[in-house]
Amino acid sequence: MSGRHESGDRGSPYAPHTAEETAAMLDAVGADDVSELFDIPDEVAFDGEFGIEERTEREAERHVRGLLSRNDDLTEFLGRGHYDHYVPSLVDHLSLRSEFLTSYTQYQPEITQGFLQALFEYQSMLVELTGLGIVNASMYDHATALAEAALLAARVRSTDGDRVLVPDYLLASRRDVLENYTDGAGLTVETFATDDGNVDTDALAEAIDDDAVMVYAENPTTRGTVEENLTEIGDLADDHDALFCLGSDPVALSILQEPAAVGADVVVGDAATLGLPTAYGMGLGLFACRGDFVRQVPGRLVGASEDAADNRTYTLTLQTREQHIRKERATSNICTNQAWVALRTAIHAAYLGPDGLVDLANDCVRLADDLADRLDDVTGLQAPVHDRHHFREFVAHTDQPAKAVTEDLEAEEFAVHAVGEHEVQVCITDSNQHAADQLVAAFEEVA
Amino acid sequence: MSFEVPDDRKYLESHEWVDDAADTARIGISDFAQDELGDVVFVELPDEGDDLAQNDEFGVVESIKAVSDLYSPVNGTVTAVNDALADQPELVNEDPFGEGWMLEVELADDSGLDDLLSADEYREQIE
Repeated sequence: MSGRHESGDRGSPYAPHTAEETAAMLDAVGADDVSELFDIPDEVAFDGEFGIEERTEREAERHVRGLLSRNDDLTEFLGRGHYDHYVPSLVDHLSLRSEFLTSYTQYQPEITQGFLQALFEYQSMLVELTGLGIVNASMYDHATALAEAALLAARVRSTDGDRVLVPDYLLASRRDVLENYTDGAGLTVETFATDDGNVDTDALAEAIDDDAVMVYAENPTTRGTVEENLTEIGDLADDHDALFCLGSDPVALSILQEPAAVGADVVVGDAATLGLPTAYGMGLGLFACRGDFVRQVPGRLVGASEDAADNRTYTLTLQTREQHIRKERATSNICTNQAWVALRTAIHAAYLGPDGLVDLANDCVRLADDLADRLDDVTGLQAPVHDRHHFREFVAHTDQPAKAVTEDLEAEEFAVHAVGEHEVQVCITDSNQHAADQLVAAFEEVA
Repeated sequence: MSFEVPDDRKYLESHEWVDDAADTARIGISDFAQDELGDVVFVELPDEGDDLAQNDEFGVVESIKAVSDLYSPVNGTVTAVNDALADQPELVNEDPFGEGWMLEVELADDSGLDDLLSADEYREQIE
């Protein structure tokens, strides 16, 4: 097919109906205008122009390329929730196959066994890594998974309570989403203190009471430290009938304490540390919980079964928890998941295998230790700030104002977070370790 | 097809039955209701000691194709729950008026029994 279709005015090469077809359909239902088919209150209806300039495809492409060329090409040593690990090309080759590259939800098991199996594998890997019985087929990102955990905690608790306790290092972006979700459920988010990058268990014991529905902590933490008090946190939560929700990620989980073994009831995090680069802000909300919460889990679950011929088969299961079945009684108003991203994560994890995952995680410890040691030798820097084990990232003290240091580093084409007046945070993984020497040299120039 | 509608029960329009022959009344759902639902896979029931109010939700029955709320035909207090349904929810399909019972209830003085449908009235409703 080439050229324009001349069978009537579509108004756009992308619109499926001609003006004649639209008129015939309106005539058939007895309406004069499309607007009669919708009941949109005037106060929310958009009445104006979008102000989008018309461009040909070629012009649009040139324009976008121009915008992209304005991006800085900095070498990133940024972490704080977004982690870059090398994604093998195999992940692209498999995930971009047309059988997988679809926004279609796997509702019909008879036509989507392959994708369902991939999601089941994703869930199964995370069941192994967390030690918890249930993993869903994903939420949007770490923040939404955390918020859903708080709502789950409020649902499963036998008595009333409205307090969600979070550590002072919780990222503002995660806290905002958590508050947004929990506000409507009548929950309040309260902060407890940390001590040298770990939960201050005395402060938590002071803060917690029988009104607490959930306690949240991270391992590794936002500041890169490995949490050493997980069992105590779990016990404190347990003593008050509160759920213990732990934030982590699949790479870290391969070598850190197993969440189930320290009393975690829910594990949340961003599983896209595997399978996706950090660009574009896309995440993959990891949500794992104890098996006895199975009917309270938000989001999609893939289950394994057998068909009439005793073949192993896969299907979306327990959908009655979900909004498309029971809107007013659903466990969550999420009506989607990140299936394709979960597929990529599963492929990446399978490519690494258990040993490869552990090797990658051990690199995250070693690389951070080595870089912190080297930066500690730089005049004007002390690293790490916290006397703890670290994973991927660490906070360093700067004698100069941190903002000035990171701005000067940017001029040297390095991106590093300023996290306090005299604190910067540095994240190193397999994807930027090649530039460690240059980063140290740049710090020597600017610190 | 014709459905079983025992004469010794009273019925709520939403297809729950109550049998008040013994000291404690039993509650379940009708043959018609289980047939409409299809294969029952899960029944969510209240706890012993919970109070029930006539026409208020007391639980949920889930089948492979639908989820329905369960409404109490009477006012009273739950004295027993059919634990067998946890592992064998299919009893609701197989024997809705017998082994598939859901709750035993101690009726309140104002039980509301007089407001319910007789077997004949219920038969008329489902025909």
